[in-house]
Amino acid sequence: MTWESVLEFARGPFFYAALLIFVAGMVYRLVNVIGLGWNRDRVPVKGSKTSGVVMSFLKGILIWPFIPWVKNTFSRNPLIYVGGGLFHLGLFAVIFLGTPHMLVWKSLLGFGWPTLATPIVDWLAAVAIIAMLILLVHRIVNPVVKLISGPAEYVAWLLVFLPMLTGYMMTHHLWFQYDVLFSLHMLTVDVLLIWVPFSRISHFIFYFFARTIHGQEFGKRGVAV
Amino acid sequence: MTATKQAMDAFVHETGGWVASQLEACTRCGMCAEACHFYQSSGNPEYAPVWKLELLRRAYEQRFTIFGGIKAAIGLDKRVTDDDLKHWSELNYYACTVCNKCSMVCPMGIDLGSLLHGVRAGLSAAELVPADLMAAVNKQVDEGSPLGMTSAVWDQRLEWVADEWEVEIPRDVKGADTLVVFSSIEVMKFPTNVAAIAKVLNKAGEKWTVSSKAREVVNFGFYEGSEEHTKLFINRILEGAKELGVKRIIVTECGHAYDALRWHAANWIPEANDFEVIHITGVLGELIGAGRIKIKPGFFDQNGNGTITFHDACKIQRKGGHIQEPRDILNVLAPKSFKEMTPNREESVCCGGGGGVIAIKAADAIRYKAFELKIDQVNKVGAKTVAMTCSNCRLQFTDSVEHFKLDWKVTGLAQMVADALVE
Ligand code: HEM
Ligand code: HEM
Ligand code: SF4
Ligand code: SF4
Repeated sequence: MTWESVLEFARGPFFYAALLIFVAGMVYRLVNVIGLGWNRDRVPVKGSKTSGVVMSFLKGILIWPFIPWVKNTFSRNPLIYVGGGLFHLGLFAVIFLGTPHMLVWKSLLGFGWPTLATPIVDWLAAVAIIAMLILLVHRIVNPVVKLISGPAEYVAWLLVFLPMLTGYMMTHHLWFQYDVLFSLHMLTVDVLLIWVPFSRISHFIFYFFARTIHGQEFGKRGVAV
Repeated sequence: MTATKQAMDAFVHETGGWVASQLEACTRCGMCAEACHFYQSSGNPEYAPVWKLELLRRAYEQRFTIFGGIKAAIGLDKRVTDDDLKHWSELNYYACTVCNKCSMVCPMGIDLGSLLHGVRAGLSAAELVPADLMAAVNKQVDEGSPLGMTSAVWDQRLEWVADEWEVEIPRDVKGADTLVVFSSIEVMKFPTNVAAIAKVLNKAGEKWTVSSKAREVVNFGFYEGSEEHTKLFINRILEGAKELGVKRIIVTECGHAYDALRWHAANWIPEANDFEVIHITGVLGELIGAGRIKIKPGFFDQNGNGTITFHDACKIQRKGGHIQEPRDILNVLAPKSFKEMTPNREESVCCGGGGGVIAIKAADAIRYKAFELKIDQVNKVGAKTVAMTCSNCRLQFTDSVEHFKLDWKVTGLAQMVADALVE
């Protein structure tokens, strides 16, 4: 077996199988949660649910979660909040605004979009990798986060970290042959895709539920989110 | 294991899509701990809001998700045991006021307060409510009030208040517009509040009444997390209101009672929507705004109160929405000496006495520790008078002021308004 055939497999059948599992798994998760039923809220509204939801998303995406002091909490370690923000920023930039990835989206969706210059994406990827390492240390050291983390949290971290790492090494031709790294990148990406529906990485979908609920709850009371 | 079974069944009952989608959204980032005054004051990681929620998460994942079921079966996730329930009973009833500050900090926006209330529902089904709190609930079931304010005691007290402060308190008046339901904390411990509210409403010419049937607004069933008891106590109020034919119900200075009646009752008892439910803070704002009562500007700048600050109650301000009214009023009463603590408004730090915590003797040390954050806050603005709109907070303040030997004056907003009324 050559790396070429591994790559072919990881980019071809395995990738599509992983995609299928990812999509089917996420649909299942959504149906499962939505199927539990929603009670109607009969309580008379004081403020406005709609404006609450709008504010909830604006703040959730633009300001929060990543700038803690706007919320006036006790903010013992702002670095960690910022770390989470930089990690996601880098991740999204790489996945959506890196040229090779955009091309993957294009082949799947049929249309593409302008991308960022490679050096910028490159820097953001490096930042994301460093941020992930900081988050891992935090997870091990901080008593609260340590307490609430089980094996699943560490597995999720690893499965997100590996594609980041192999992707970065690949673009920088570090240590291994390009073919080898590309194969590893694709294999780890495939495994990640399969793992998402079974893990908390699926938070990116439920985020929209939680923020909507948050906006409704605060909006209906006429309280700033 | 019957306790476990009862708790798990209750958790399952609590879990609709609304709860499940929020449990799924949690990334286990631990930021919510930053918000919790119990964690902040003690440093105990078990007081992290997300950890207090742990039982509900396990119940949900193991019962409703395939993967969660498998994980529990092969030992990757712990099953809930009777010992766990006992432990979490302490975490939730001793060290959580259900103040919902954590929801403001959670990056996903999870409404932790509501979910934590769900944990209490399970613990109460398993009969693991701390004995002191349960005794108070039972007393309210039997006598109509956790503070033993029976019908006879109520009569006597109100007559005495009317006498002592020379105010008229209309009782059981059929056809009044407004029913005022006091809390036993006010009637028994802060009677000046009762007199003050009566004075203000009379001055405004409001057609109001109290009801001997709906004499207690406090709802210890809501602290307990028992839907059955909560409904029982709400129904007593609604029956009283119906009997007298009023249009609206004023909840006086009691936070969690307002939360239950204003923001939950209609989802259990549709008839609750026959009445407008409003908190006295909102009423004060209305009356002053409409010019139905007048207050003396600067009245509290002169009377040697020092700097005055305002403590936001979790259930009246953060969860109730009456945030602006107290500010507007204080800016008239004490434009020079009113100063805000930080953080304030919806982000305010809880006093630590709510959620039934103050009723639990074993939680005293935890409660005082949490109050130290409040002491810091008040001292930072150099306030000598602290005003608030919740008599449960006020109980925590007066008790802690004594415990820590502080020289603060603790007062209620309604009382300040009554004192500064233009006759
Ligand atoms: C709408 C999109 C998303 C939102 C709002 C979001 C939000 C968050 C938040 C608030 C945290 C906790 C903060 C932290 O620990 O830094 C978090 C953690 C995490 N997210 Fe996301 N996320 C999103 C999408 C994603 C995606 C697409 C992935 C991966 C493919 C991902 C992977 C992770 C990982 C691995 C962690 C845990 C980091 C750690 O170990 O501390 N997220 N996310
Ligand atoms: C969780 C993060 C990542 C995911 C899910 C991901 C996913 C993918 C996927 C699906 C492909 C498919 C390529 C194809 O079939 O043509 C790909 C290619 C690629 N990835 Fe990533 N990737 C991630 C992170 C990164 C990072 C951090 C970098 C570099 C900074 C990177 C660099 C690349 C490059 C250069 C290619 C394309 C190679 C080529 O077509 O010649 N990836 N990635
Ligand atoms: S509701 Fe308040 S007391 Fe309870 S966990 Fe959240 S912040 Fe702490
Ligand atoms: S802050 Fe929100 S997402 Fe983070 S651990 Fe707490 S509940 Fe979960």
